[in-house]
Amino acid sequence: MSILLRSSEINKLPVVTFAGEDIAQVKDIMYAAHGGQIGGFTLNGRGMFSGPLKTALPWESVVGLGPDAVVIRDEGALTPTESLRAATQSGGPSGDILGSQVLTDDGAALGVVVDVVIEVADGGGGQADVVGYEIDPAEGVGRGTNRMLIPLPDTMSASGEYLMVPAAAREFVTDDLAGFGAAVDDFRAHLRGQR
Amino acid sequence: MLFSEALGRSVVRTDTASTVGRVSDYVVDPRLPGVVALILSKTSSQGSALPWPNIIAFGVDAVTVPSAAAVVEPDPYLAELAGKPHTLLHKRVLTTSGVQLGTVLDVDFDPTIGRLAALLLEQGPIDAARLLGVGSYAVMVRA
Repeated sequence: MSILLRSSEINKLPVVTFAGEDIAQVKDIMYAAHGGQIGGFTLNGRGMFSGPLKTALPWESVVGLGPDAVVIRDEGALTPTESLRAATQSGGPSGDILGSQVLTDDGAALGVVVDVVIEVADGGGGQADVVGYEIDPAEGVGRGTNRMLIPLPDTMSASGEYLMVPAAAREFVTDDLAGFGAAVDDFRAHLRGQR
Repeated sequence: MLFSEALGRSVVRTDTASTVGRVSDYVVDPRLPGVVALILSKTSSQGSALPWPNIIAFGVDAVTVPSAAAVVEPDPYLAELAGKPHTLLHKRVLTTSGVQLGTVLDVDFDPTIGRLAALLLEQGPIDAARLLGVGSYAVMVRA
């Protein structure tokens, strides 16, 4: 069973070992594979006054990612931040997707990306894919200020300024995460049918 | 037997029939998982730890020990497992999938061998075989 999480919900999650100790918390998500997957996490220390850590957590070492914690086996899972940064940010738009304009390939602006929706396969072990975006809608969409969730195909293009989505994505927009998993599946099936 | 039921129970010497203390805490090794010692309060002797092998019986009304020598200072193994960061009660329970299941309200254990049977949460019992570790932040269980 996979679960869906917003990137904003992942930030600040505690990083907990099998021994039950919270050794860090998530500072930021590092994306890999051209922004399509989680590559790892940069970390802050726990507690109000602790700053960023010099170590980071590569995704391969994550045992579980859920709504309440990132679970790792032990402290050995952490690697120096610089080496992980080099490994994950080899090309691609990385994490600069927040704030970019969403354009359909027929040239309509849907709004601005305010959050990233991530699907975690079977509570970790597998991949954590970016499956959609939460969007603050543009006026032309006629939805007022209700945020919407838009599913993404497996491949996409993004420049940091614009995020291109197929016009068909518009039909699979949902309002909440509860119906979003089905929308992602439907949308991918729809795209596969077209090819 | 539940952790809460046996707290405060008298620990009695069989050689003199006198009380050596009362049960105030449990030392659990999550790798077994089982109770490896009791921490006693109101002890007259030097130590406060009662290792499980030194117990004659964990009875329904009292815990019996052969003599005052059964109560000792915690050795390094017990000292590592004892203390507030490793208590189970009132601690949040996290699965290895990163989901919080609730908090430990009580623990069911077998008083003959000390083995843990289940962690009792408001949401229901969890098989103690799933227990992975007990730390300052959470009780970790397999998903």
